[in-house]
Formats: sequence, C-alpha cells, structure tokens
Amino acid sequence: MNTAAHPVAPEEIMAFLDGELAPTEAQAVAGHLGRCAECAGLAGKLRATSGWLAQWAVPPVPSSVEEAVMRQAAQVAAGHIPARPRSFFNPSMWGWKQWALGGGGVMAAAVILLVVSSAIFFRPVRQAEMAQQVAPSPEAEGYGSTRQPNDQPAVVKGKLAAGSAAVTQFDSLQAARYLPETRAGGGGAPLPTPQAAAAPMIARTVSLTIVVKDFAAARASLDSILLRHRGYAAQLTAATQENAPRSLQASLRIPAPELAAALAELKTLGRVQNESQSGEEVTQQHTDLVARLQNSRETEERLRAILEQRTGKIEDVLQVEEEIARVRGEIEQMEAEQQALEHRVEFASVDLQLTEEYKAELNSPSGSVWNRLRNAFVAGLRNAAETILGIVLFLEEDGPVLLIWLAILGLPVFLLVRRYRRMRARL
Amino acid sequence: MQDALPAFVLHSEAKRRFTMSDAPRDSDASRSQTRPFGDNEQSDEQLMTAFSRGQADAFSPLFLRYKQPLFGFFHRRVADPAQAEELTQETFLAVLRAAARYRQSALFRTYLYAVGFKILRAYRRKAAFRATFLGEQPPGREPAIGSAIETQALMREAVGKLEGLDREVLLLREFEQLSYAEIAGLLGLPLNTVRSRLFRARMALHDLLAAPASRPAAQEFAHFKERL
Repeated sequence: MNTAAHPVAPEEIMAFLDGELAPTEAQAVAGHLGRCAECAGLAGKLRATSGWLAQWAVPPVPSSVEEAVMRQAAQVAAGHIPARPRSFFNPSMWGWKQWALGGGGVMAAAVILLVVSSAIFFRPVRQAEMAQQVAPSPEAEGYGSTRQPNDQPAVVKGKLAAGSAAVTQFDSLQAARYLPETRAGGGGAPLPTPQAAAAPMIARTVSLTIVVKDFAAARASLDSILLRHRGYAAQLTAATQENAPRSLQASLRIPAPELAAALAELKTLGRVQNESQSGEEVTQQHTDLVARLQNSRETEERLRAILEQRTGKIEDVLQVEEEIARVRGEIEQMEAEQQALEHRVEFASVDLQLTEEYKAELNSPSGSVWNRLRNAFVAGLRNAAETILGIVLFLEEDGPVLLIWLAILGLPVFLLVRRYRRMRARL
Repeated sequence: MQDALPAFVLHSEAKRRFTMSDAPRDSDASRSQTRPFGDNEQSDEQLMTAFSRGQADAFSPLFLRYKQPLFGFFHRRVADPAQAEELTQETFLAVLRAAARYRQSALFRTYLYAVGFKILRAYRRKAAFRATFLGEQPPGREPAIGSAIETQALMREAVGKLEGLDREVLLLREFEQLSYAEIAGLLGLPLNTVRSRLFRARMALHDLLAAPASRPAAQEFAHFKERL
C-alpha cells in the first residue's frame, strides 16, 4: 500500500459521506471508493456507526410543553413580552466572567477592610507612643500650670492616653524650671534640696523642618526670636545653591522655660513640614554625679587636713599631694560634666531646618541639552534599577507571607474548583 | 479543503443534505430537515420574521417543525427526561422573548440550536454548582428509570464514554444534522478541528458499539494514516 493507492484521506471519505465535499472532490472520492476495498470498508464502518446511532430514538414531546410554549407565543404576539429570569443574582448561573468579577470584588473589599481596620486598630498605640515625645502645647501649659510640679511621677511608663502623657511631661518641664533656681543659690557646690532632688530633670530636644516663602525675612525673624528668648545658635549653616532652594540648618539652644513660646514663634515662620520632640530624663544621672562630687570633695578636704595637721616623711607628704591632685582632677571633671548636664536641661536643643519654597527663575542658566538628556537618562536608569530592586526586596520580604496566605486561601478554592470541574465533566 | 465547501447559504431550503445512513431515522431531526417545503410552505426564516413582525400564527408551524428535534437535542444530552422537557420549553421561551430582536443573519435552525446550547450550558453549570457547593447529587448520564429500550441505554452509555467535545460534535452532526461549518460556528472551533474530532468520535464509537472485533477501528485508522 502507498500514497498512490490511497489518494484520499480517511477524513475526506467521512466528509464525502456527510456531503461536505465540493463536487470535483466528491467525484474523486467516489471513484476511489469504487476501486479500493479498504476505503470502502472504512466507509462501511462510518455508515454502520451512523446507522447504529439512528436507532437512538427519542419519545415524542409531551403536550404540556406545546401548551406552555403556544401560550407564551400568544402572549408575545399580543405584545406582552415575558420577563427574563434574573440570572445575575443566582451564582449557579454565573459564568467565568461573573465569577472573576465577584471574586475580584470580594478580594478588593477584603484588602480595603484589612487596610482600614489596621489603620483603626494601630492608630491609638502610635498616638500614645508619639505623645511621649511630644512637647507641651500651649493648651497643656494652661492646664498644667494649676498643678503642683511634683504630684505626678515623672517617667511615663506603658501606654498612656495622649492627654495624660502630655500633662506628665509638662510637669517635668515645670520641674526643670525650678532646678536652676535651687542650683543658683548653692555657689560652686550646691547640694540639691529634697524638693529639687525629687524634681525630674529633662533634657529636651526638638527637631523642626520649616518651609518658608521669604527666606531672608525668615532669617531675620529667627535672629530676633533667639534674642527675645535669650537663646543662641550653637551652630548654623546656610546654603545657597544654584537652581535650588536656599536652605538653613541650625542647632539652637533655647532656655527651657522659653521653649514653648519660642517654638510657637518659630512655627509662624512658614509651613511646618516635619516636627519631632523628645525629652531625656537625666535626674538619676545628675543625682549620681552630685553624690560622687560630694564624696570627692570630702576626700579632698580630709587629705588637705592630713597634709596640714600631720608631719611625716617627705615621701608620705608627696604621696598625699599626689592623691590631692588626682582627686582635684576628678572633681573638676565631674563639675564640668555637671555643668554640661545642667546646661542641657536648662537649654533645650532645637534642630531647625529652614528651606525656601523654590521658585524656578526664568533667567537661571540651565545646562546644555546634551547634559540634561544624559542626566535624565542616567536618572531613568537609576529609577528603573531602584524599581526592580524594590520589587525584589518586596518579594523577599513579603513573598513568604504571601505564599502562606496563598496556600491558606488557595487550597480550599482549588479543591472547590476541582470538584466543580469534575461535576461538570460528569454531566 | 474548506475553501472547496459550498458557500454558506442563509436559507434552510437550500440546505438539502443527504445522510450517510440508509437506516430509517427516528421522528426528529432528519425527517424535519429533509422534508421539502411545499410551494405554499414558508421557510423557517420567513416564518420567524413574520412572527417577529407581529403575525401571531407564524410561530405555530415553526414550533411544530422543531419541537421534536429540540426535545431530542436535550433528551440525548440530559439524562432526566423531565429536565429535557423543561429545557426544551425554556429554549422556545427564550426565542419568543427575543423574537422582536430577531434578525435573519443565520439559519433559524442554527440560531435555535445556539440558544439551546446556551441554555444547556447554563443548566450544566447550575447542576455542577449545586453538586459542588450545596452537595446535591448531580444527575448522572445513566439512563433514567423507565427508558426501557436497551438500545437507548447502550447508545447513551457508549456516547457518554466519548470525550466531551467529541461527543458534542458527533451529536450535532448525527442528530441535529448541522454542517461542519455550523458546528464550528456553534462550538467556536476551527473547521478542521470539527472534522478531525468528528472522525475520531465516529471511530471510537464504532469500537464501542461493535462487538469485540479482531481489530478496533481506531487502530485501523492509525494504520490507515501510516500508509498516507
């Protein structure tokens, strides 16, 4: 047997029997069937299959169907069109489009719910945490000034409500206000009074970022604010760059009692972009230092007494002198530390960043077109790399969690879909 | 090959096709398809257009022509005869509902089966959904109680063993007497796929229905292919 013997494909024989061939092809197949017994056999099988199938009879349609349909036909002819059954609200009538839409909607709703609920649940905690760092506001001052400074524990532990945390901190500030007074009367080595010892010492730090419209005016205002509140700039850097907004970075020292008023004035300079405040409790540190200083001074006095009252060998005298010198060094070091600490409490530190609202100038010289194109290209490449890196980092960081959720949610869905498909196949 | 096929004619009278079987057909599709219209008898499309324009009595002959073929269409695909009745009725109702929008863009027959097919799919989806999510037992393909004729049971079982799409192509050709092009349009398949699936289905069915022969037709087909 070869191709020449069978010029027609078996499917063509079937198409011929079905009357699906063009006349010329049909003629060719008919001619071949007359000559080839094998192909005639195949045709016989195909005919036999159709013949068997033809025996699959169906009972006549029940008359109830006819009645119902003709009744409806009469209604339609009379102009009354029966309503279509609503399949949208019946999930069993849904196709993949409806399922995709419904599933997508549910997923989106779940994500939104998750985001909203997490925002609601986590906000109070963050507020309380932030409140511990927030400086007293003018309103808090009005409330706090009626209270005794020492009737509240200084250190805020745990998560308190925002209001009470602010009040507590304000009391600390009030206490700090008293401290310099107690110290001032003591001359070189003041002993803290019991009240002062109980009062907490807080070293305050504030960080402010302000965007101003008029940079020069803001600069002048800053100087006058410092003057008015008896503060000073520990460090100040102003930068004026081409094609960029002018900026100023300053580390200010403001007397603690004046802090709230000075801050309020600073904030009027422009739009506050960022603000953070913190207070460091240094009472313990200060008390330790004062006690150690007291000890050292007593030691020094005793050594001096020994030197004055007793006589001895020259070596012993020298040894006592050496000891006095050592103790004196310690005392001076500790005094410096104490001063620095008290200075930190007395003067709050304000890190201020002033930025000008940038207005591009028409006559500002711009770089050459080539350079700008090149820079844009480099920036574009960098952005693309950053984006890819971001995606990779996201996958690394959140991928495992996503996989876990996928497994948790995906498995039941997968099982249901499989079951559904099996049921479909059985029908 | 399909280029050589006769052009698609939008008139059912033009579609006179002969069947490959000489065996007597049952009362449905073949009879209604091969029955020539008399001079005063209108085509399906003419009747439907007339009905859509408000001629109330035009639907009756159309229904009489197609009630049995459409019932057969569902009866062979759905095991439960009551369900087949319901689906037949539903299909006619759907055609009635859409009658005002009817435009003669294809043969009425093709249109009717397309509607029927859509309703059948919806029914299958519904049954599968209920079986999956509500735990209802899906109606299997086993012959319903009361269908006493052994041939029917045998046919149903044999046809049920075919792959889903092959089965559909075979049934549409054998009982609904659709052309290859019409089947392709209805199932959204390429014409060549319809032909190859139909051939495969017929060979497989021959093997299933024939008494255990020395060599199954499918094997013979493979042998046949090798020679070409």
